[in-house]
Amino acid sequence: MMTEPAVTLNQVGKSFVGLKVLSGVTFDVRPGEVHALLGENGAGKSTLIKIMAGLHKPDEGEILVDGKPVSFSSPREAHHAGIATVHQELLLFPELTVAENVFLGQTPKTPWGGVDWTRMRKRAGELLDSLDSHDLDVDARVGSLSVANRQRVEIARALSQEARVVIMDEPTASLAEADVLRLMDIVRRLKARGVGIVYVSHRMPEIFALADRVTVLRDGNHVGTHDIGDVDETKLVSMMVGRAIDKLYPVKQGTSGETILELKDVSYRSIVRNISFALRTGEILGIAGLVGSGRTELALTIFGITPATGGAILLDGKPVTIGSPGAARDLGIAYIPEDRGLQGLIRVQTVTENIALANLKRLTRGLFVDSGKALAEAKRAITQFGIRARGPDQVVRQLSGGNQQKVVLAKWLATNPRILIMDEPTRGIDVGAKAEIHQLMRKLAGEGLAILMISSELPEVLGMSDRVMVMNSGRIAASFEGKDVTPEVVGAAMTKVSARDAA
Amino acid sequence: MTLSKLLRHETILALLTVAALIALAMLSDKFFTTSNLLNQGRLMSEVGLVALAMTFVIVTGGIDLSVGSILGLTAILLGVFWKNVGMPLPLAMVAAVVCGTAAGIGNGFIITRFRVPPLIATLATLALYRGLAEGISEARSVRGYPEWFYFFGQGEIAGVPVQLWVLVICTVIAGVILGFTPFGRATYAVGANEVAARFSGINADATKMWIYGAAGFLSAIAAVIFVSRVTTTRSDMGTGIELDVITGVVLGGTSIFGGKGTIVGTVLGLVLIQALKNGLALSGVKGDGTIVVIGVVLIAAVLAGAILDRNRGGS
Amino acid sequence: MSVAVVPIRSGRSGFQRFVTGYGQEIVVALSIVALFIVVGLYNPRFLNDTNINSIFAGNAYIAVAAIGMSMIIVAGHIDVSVGSLIGVIATISGTLAVSGYPIWVAWLVPILFSIAVNAGVGALVAYMRIPSIVVTLGMLSILKGGLISATGGAWISDLPPAFMIAQARIFGVASPVYFMVVLTILAALFMRYTDFGRAIYAVGGNIEAARAAGLNAERTTVGVFALHGLFAGIAGILFATQLQVIQSTVPPNLELTVITASVIGGVSILGGTGTVIGSTLAAILFATIGSALIFLNVSAYWLRAVLGLLILATVLADMIRRRRST
Repeated sequence: MMTEPAVTLNQVGKSFVGLKVLSGVTFDVRPGEVHALLGENGAGKSTLIKIMAGLHKPDEGEILVDGKPVSFSSPREAHHAGIATVHQELLLFPELTVAENVFLGQTPKTPWGGVDWTRMRKRAGELLDSLDSHDLDVDARVGSLSVANRQRVEIARALSQEARVVIMDEPTASLAEADVLRLMDIVRRLKARGVGIVYVSHRMPEIFALADRVTVLRDGNHVGTHDIGDVDETKLVSMMVGRAIDKLYPVKQGTSGETILELKDVSYRSIVRNISFALRTGEILGIAGLVGSGRTELALTIFGITPATGGAILLDGKPVTIGSPGAARDLGIAYIPEDRGLQGLIRVQTVTENIALANLKRLTRGLFVDSGKALAEAKRAITQFGIRARGPDQVVRQLSGGNQQKVVLAKWLATNPRILIMDEPTRGIDVGAKAEIHQLMRKLAGEGLAILMISSELPEVLGMSDRVMVMNSGRIAASFEGKDVTPEVVGAAMTKVSARDAA
Repeated sequence: MTLSKLLRHETILALLTVAALIALAMLSDKFFTTSNLLNQGRLMSEVGLVALAMTFVIVTGGIDLSVGSILGLTAILLGVFWKNVGMPLPLAMVAAVVCGTAAGIGNGFIITRFRVPPLIATLATLALYRGLAEGISEARSVRGYPEWFYFFGQGEIAGVPVQLWVLVICTVIAGVILGFTPFGRATYAVGANEVAARFSGINADATKMWIYGAAGFLSAIAAVIFVSRVTTTRSDMGTGIELDVITGVVLGGTSIFGGKGTIVGTVLGLVLIQALKNGLALSGVKGDGTIVVIGVVLIAAVLAGAILDRNRGGS
Repeated sequence: MSVAVVPIRSGRSGFQRFVTGYGQEIVVALSIVALFIVVGLYNPRFLNDTNINSIFAGNAYIAVAAIGMSMIIVAGHIDVSVGSLIGVIATISGTLAVSGYPIWVAWLVPILFSIAVNAGVGALVAYMRIPSIVVTLGMLSILKGGLISATGGAWISDLPPAFMIAQARIFGVASPVYFMVVLTILAALFMRYTDFGRAIYAVGGNIEAARAAGLNAERTTVGVFALHGLFAGIAGILFATQLQVIQSTVPPNLELTVITASVIGGVSILGGTGTVIGSTLAAILFATIGSALIFLNVSAYWLRAVLGLLILATVLADMIRRRRST
C-alpha cells in the first residue's frame, strides 16, 4: 500500500510582499490516493496548490516529482510533469466548444500540422465517456453548460494531459447535491486509474467518504497529516481553528420580540418558490441550504435586486412593494452580500467613500455631500467596529477580509436598518475577526435588530441562530427551533431530494 | 494620502500645460496675446462642452462615440425646423436641442435596457444619427440665419466670446456635480463597481441614463454654437469630434476603465491640446500636422501613467 | 448494474454543427442573395456584369481590412486607426511608385510598414497594458496628422500602369475579388486550423484561462496586431491602386465601416467569438445595400441611416440571444 509519492512538497514556504503565507509545509500525494487538504480561508491552501500547479514559485523548500527535485516556472511545466488543476473558478473558454476546451493548447494534429477537429471531437467524447458523462455534447458551447458540466470538462481536460496528479480546489462548493454524488463517483474512478488526487474541501462528509489521508493547515503552517481512520470531525475542526469549537459562538439570549417582517407565498420566477415565514425583532433566524437551494436568491428578492414575482411581503403587518435595493434600504432593510469583493465593496475606493455609499441621501446637505460628516462617520465606524485600517482614507482593497467585512457592515448599519440580512457573514475571514463579527451580531440582535443569516457553515448556523430554516430547491424544506436543531436533522433537510424535483 | 494620489495625474498635467504655455510663448510672440487666447477659447468651446459630459460617461466605464453625429443631427434639425418646417428660430433651437438630448437618452436606453456595451451601442448610433442627418438634409446646407443668431458663436460679453462663457459656466456646474454631489459619488461608484453600487441602493441605470442624456444635451448645445459660429448648417458637422473629445478626457487622467477622473483634469487636457495646436500653428506647422503631437502626447501620457502605476505596485 | 447500458454519445451531425457554428454568416449570406433577387427583379440592370463587378471589386479592400479587424476584435481588442493607416499606406505606396522604385518595392514596403506599426501598437497593448482603444486613438491622430502635414493632401498622379494591381482583370473578374476571396479563405483556415488561430480565440475569450493553459497571451496579442497590420497593408495597396490617382488623405469613416463589417459578420465586441468569413460577407452586404438603394431609387443619402439601423438591429439581436443562452 505504501507506494512512493508522485509529488512531494518538502518544507516549502512563500511570502507575498513581506507577508508570510506559507512556511515549512510538507505535503505529498501518492498514486491512487485521495489526499484531502483542509484549513480555514487564509490558512495557505490555495497558495500551496498554486505552488504545486506551477503558478507560484516557492521561496524556500523543494518540489519533488517521483523523488527528483523539479522547479516549475509556468503552469505548462507543471502540466508536463503530470500535474493538472480543476480550478474553483473553472478556467474555461465560454465561447468555445466542449471538445476544444478539453484540448486547447495540446490539440491533436492532422499530418499537415493543422488542428484535427474530427479526432479532437472523438477523443473528447471518449474522455467524457470514461467519466460517465455520456450526455455531454462535445459540440456544445461551454458558456451554455451548467457548473457541474463545466467541471466535468475541466476534469476531462486534466485527463487529456495524462495527469498523474489532479488538484481539485473546492470542487463541490457550487454543486447541487445530485451533482456532488456524481462528482464523488468520478473521483473514485480517477483514483482507480491510479491518479493521485489533492482534494480541497470544507465539507466533512465528502472528506470522510473519499479521502485516504488528510492534511490540515493553519495560518500558513502544517498542523498535521493523518490517515482518515485516525481522526474524526471534532478533531479536524479543532486542528483547523486551533481551539475547541464550542467556545466559538456567543451565548444566545433568546429575547425575540414581535414580528417585523412577514413573507406570504413569496416567489421569484421558479427560483424562489412560495416562501412564507415571519422574522421577529431581536432574533437571529438562520437559513441553511446548499448553494443553489434558493437561499441567496430569497435574500435578493427581499432586498429588491430581483423583486418578487408573486406573494406578499409585509412590514409591520403592512404590505410593501420592494422594487429596488434603494426601496429596501428606505424601508429599513439592509443586506450584507455574499460576494464581498464584487457586491459588497468598491475596492478601489476609500473606507469613507464605501461607508458613505448607502447613506448618500442622509449625508447630503442641500445639493452637496457633506464630506466632513462622511469622514466623521467613517472615523466613528473605525473605532466602533475596530476596523484595522491606517485611517478613513485607506483604500479598502488593502484591508484584510475581516476588516473589509466590517466596512460593509458599517456601511449598512449607518443606514439604521431594522432588518439585517447577512449572506455568508464570515466567509473568507480569519478566526479572530469571525468571532468579533459573531459577537457583534449577537449584540445587534440584543438591541432589537432582526437578523436573517444565510450560511453554508453548519456550525455557524447552529451556533448563531435562534431559529433555523432549511431551504432546498427554492422552498423551505424544514424549520427548527430550540433543542430540535441538530446537525443531523439540518443536514438531512438540506440534502433531501424531494420527490417533486427528482421527477 | 489618497488625495495626493488622485491629484497626481492632474499635477503632472498642470505642470506639463504650464511648461507648454511658457515654451509656446517664447516661440511665438503672438501666442500670449489676449486676442489669440480668447480666440483659442472660442475654438475649444464645442469640443470642451462635449468633453464635460464625456468625462462623466468615461468615469462610469462607458464611452460615447456618437456625440459628433448627435452634433451633426442637431445642426441639421435646427436648419430644417427653421427653414423647412417654418418654426420661429428660437423654437427651432429648443426643438433641435430636445431632439439631440433625446438621441443621447436613446443611447442610454440601448445601453441600460439591452446591456449592449457602450462602445458598440454608440458605434451603431454614430452611423444611425449621422445617417439621419444626411438623409434629412440630402446634402443641402441651410444658410441665411438672422443676424442675432450669430451672437452665440461670434458674439462677446465683456470682451469674452459668448461660447467661452457658456463653457466656463458648464465646466463649473459639471465640476461641482461630479466632485460634490450624491450624483457624482454615484457616478464614480457605478464606474468602479457597478454591482456593488447597485447593492448599495444606487440606481445605476438611472445614473447612466442621465449621463448619456447629458452627453446628447451638451452635444446639441455645441451644435447650436457651431452653426452660429460658421453661419451655415451642414450634415457633416462634428465628424470626428468624438476622437478629439475622448483624447482630451483621457489625457486629463480619466481612466478608460472607469471609476477615476475629474473635470479639472479634462479641462487641463483640453487646454494642453488647444495650446499645442495653436502654438505649433503659430510656429509654422501646417494645420492638421499639429494633431500628430496630440496623438503622441496622448500615448505618452497614458504610458507614463501605466509605468507609474506599475512602479507603485498597483494593478 | 446487471445489464451494461450502452450509452449513446450525443453529438451533432455535420449539418447541425455548420448551422449552429455559422449562424450569423448564413444569415448575412442569405441577406445578400435575397437582396440580389429582390432588387434584380425590380431592376434587372442591378444584375449586369458592370454593377456586380463594381460592388465586389470596389469594396474588396474593406473586406480585406475587416479580416484583420475581426482577428483583433476576436482577441478582445479594437483598432480605430485602421482608416488612417490605409490612407498612409496608399500615399507611401504611390509616392514610391512615382519616385522610380521598382513596383514590388512600392507594394511591399508599405505593407511592412503597416505590420511594424501594428506590432508596436500590439506591444503597447500587451506589455504596457494600455487599452487598445487609447493606443489606436493616439495612432489615429499621429497617422492622420502626419499624412496631411507631410503631403498637404496633394494628389499623386502619373502612376505607372503596372502599379495598378487592383485594376487587373483575370477571366473578366477584377483582381481585388480574387484577393478578397483567397485571403478570406486563407485567414479562415488559419483561424480554424492553427494553434495560433485558436490561441486568438482563447486569449479573447478568457485571458486568465489562456494563461493557465500555458498560452503566452502577450505574444499572441502582438502577433494578432502584426497580422492585422498585414491585412491592413494589403487593403491599403488595393485601395491605392484602384483609381488613376491617389489622394493623400484619410478615407472618411473607413475605420467605422471596417469595424462595422466585423461586428455585423458575427464577431462579438466582447471578444472570443466570430469568423472572418462573416466579416467579408458583411462587407459585401454593405456594398450590395449601397448599390441596391440606388437601383431602388432610394436616395443614397439614406444609406448610412440604413446601415446604422442594421448594426443596431444586429447588436440587439445578439444581446438578446446571449441573454437567453446564459
